[in-house]
Amino acid sequence: MSAEMANEIKLISGRSHPELSDKIAKRLGIEVARTISLNYSNQETSFTVGESVRDEDVFIVQSTATGDVNEGLMELLIMISACRTASARRITAVIPNFPYARQDKKDKSRAPISARLVANMLQTAGANHIVTVDLHASQIQGFFSVPVDNLYAEPSFLRYIRENFNSEDCVIVSPDAGGAKRATSIADHLNTAFALIHKERPRPNVVGRMVLVGNVEDKVAILVDDMADTCGTLVKAAAVLKENGAKSVLALVTHGILSGNAIETLNGSVLSALVVTNTVPLGDKVQRCPKLRVIDISPTIAEAIRRTHNGESVSYLFTHAPV
Amino acid sequence: MVRNIVVLGGNSHPALVDSVCNALSLPPCNRILTKFSSGESRCEIQDSVRGKDVYIIQTGFAGNGSRLNDHFMDLCIMISACKTGSARRVTAVLPLFPYSRQPDLPYNKAGAPLFKAGSDSGKKDYTFESVPATPAPGVPRSVGLTNGTDITGKLFKASLTNGNGAQSPIKQPNGDGYFPGNGVNGVPNTSPVGPLGAYTTHDYENLSHVGAFQAKPGYKQWVAQAGTLVANLLNCAGADHVITMDLHDPQVQGFFDVPVDNLYGRPLLKRYIQQHIPNYKDAVIISPDAGGAKRATAIADSMGVDFALIHKERRPTKITDRQNASMMLVGNVQDRICILIDDLLDTGNTITRAAKLCKKEGATKIYALLTHGVFSGDAINRVQASAIDKVVVTNSVPQDKHKAALGSKLDVLDISPIFAEAIRRVHHGESISVLFNHD
Repeated sequence: MSAEMANEIKLISGRSHPELSDKIAKRLGIEVARTISLNYSNQETSFTVGESVRDEDVFIVQSTATGDVNEGLMELLIMISACRTASARRITAVIPNFPYARQDKKDKSRAPISARLVANMLQTAGANHIVTVDLHASQIQGFFSVPVDNLYAEPSFLRYIRENFNSEDCVIVSPDAGGAKRATSIADHLNTAFALIHKERPRPNVVGRMVLVGNVEDKVAILVDDMADTCGTLVKAAAVLKENGAKSVLALVTHGILSGNAIETLNGSVLSALVVTNTVPLGDKVQRCPKLRVIDISPTIAEAIRRTHNGESVSYLFTHAPV
Repeated sequence: MVRNIVVLGGNSHPALVDSVCNALSLPPCNRILTKFSSGESRCEIQDSVRGKDVYIIQTGFAGNGSRLNDHFMDLCIMISACKTGSARRVTAVLPLFPYSRQPDLPYNKAGAPLFKAGSDSGKKDYTFESVPATPAPGVPRSVGLTNGTDITGKLFKASLTNGNGAQSPIKQPNGDGYFPGNGVNGVPNTSPVGPLGAYTTHDYENLSHVGAFQAKPGYKQWVAQAGTLVANLLNCAGADHVITMDLHDPQVQGFFDVPVDNLYGRPLLKRYIQQHIPNYKDAVIISPDAGGAKRATAIADSMGVDFALIHKERRPTKITDRQNASMMLVGNVQDRICILIDDLLDTGNTITRAAKLCKKEGATKIYALLTHGVFSGDAINRVQASAIDKVVVTNSVPQDKHKAALGSKLDVLDISPIFAEAIRRVHHGESISVLFNHD
């Protein structure tokens, strides 16, 4: 009896992004496991397990809700640790938007490398495997000594562009030098032109002067980046592109963190649309911002979970987006 | 002036950081510790820590605009930043250790142990097997049963009815035939106020979120214990040493691979009793639960004062007219001053109920002495309305707001000299055991 029952996929959802977990579960044809996370009145997190995970293949889906990063991270660690205590066979943390991914280097004296700390904490808690989407820097994989599957939103973006635009009219633009690789990859796949914006960044969350390298005249300029936080960069870049004669400007961004005044900034910008995936819970932002479009990434994540569970290769997903 | 030492404060208790630094006569380390707009912590340490002995003070308390988990993550990030900044040694100073006290029983709507009676009632004809029945094609739902009767449905109803009382957010089926009536173990539930037997030491923040959570039929739900995890996370962040005070479970010390100095608030409490309680020799020292008996007897013995204990009856009782039916006082407090001693006041449930019981048993005046005064949820109102005449806590967590709310009912003892002395001694490699028993 137990032999055929054990080692099923158990999908556990944190509080940060239940919609995504539900979509993944639906796609996989399973139910989200019965667990509940709560906070005590002293704000400690409590995690109650309502079904057995013994010898099961556990996938814990926890994104990071904007503003609640530490809360979500701590909840994830407690969930992982609980599953390990409960003798799960393997624990995979599915973290669509990896927290602290931007704090990945010691860029000044005594700066914390928080991304490495998060990596260590996840392993300390007992994660055996990590699934994430579009890591800010793929080197973060090196902070882990367990396998990290870094999925890409790129195939989904390619499909979106092909379905909505004639690729000959488009120019793919990277809003900073760091994202050039991401943008050129999309440009190569579509066989379109490529441009780059060079920017100076004096302080975090503040954007300096911008220079366009390349030609966007009478073209649809598509900005490509991995995350949109306060959207200052994107909006300034869009303005620069418009000044340089772009017909229209839209942005394709994997993680729509959209913190602070991002929505107001977007609404007042020349961007015609901001396309994000649902790696980050968007809440009422879709209602508040008519320019915001959402691509569902859950088929990719669900397929990665299915393939991981069955021991199949995941690399197919790096170039193809399941429908 | 102590050399080569850096005291770095988190955001949770700036006042304590300042007074510890004052006592050590050195300035606190300059740092930026805020949040990015995305919610990620931003930490920059502005003074050099290379080769220094770093002490990071962060207490397990939510406040100053941040949540408890924010403070804990901040602490880990600061430790890690000091480590990468080539600090010689990093010591985490946690006056109140977070996640040190978690209930091992699942919640019900009030956070009380819920399952006890449910599983007891089912024991006769139900056994737990290592793999509970997972619904799957061809697998009968009641694999765990031995007598062929499907009671799983009844069992989970039982778990809902028990101790849940009238305020249950879940619609209860009437007359399910397992427990007659609709109340606690067959007792008609007429009381509109909280559950009677369901006595809790933990409240939940957002009760509405509890919703209709149910464990899988046949699975005994349980709550994750985060204590070990927190210890491991501090280890993994790079803490070389931990200093804390009055750990709820002294076993937490064993969760660490690094030295943990568990300081005692006891001498402070003892001094308060001797100086501020008239005729304390005739008073009775009471432990509000069996777990704290050791703590209370230690004080009672060293002062030669009588001792009593309150025993918490967790089994559902059939007595409904007395609120404290689930508590028993072992000892005599008639016409005497009661001094309740415990380590932590969280929701205030334990201590206020104990006080009520003491009052009922004839106590004249009731003092409550606790090391950590968290006062979460409704604790302030609860204490205000209780039979306690005086609450005495230390400033292991910020007490300004509690003091403002409770006024003269609350006395605060300063622990910064103890921590400053511990830091000084640890830094110089002197023994700190003298701090454990000084008067």
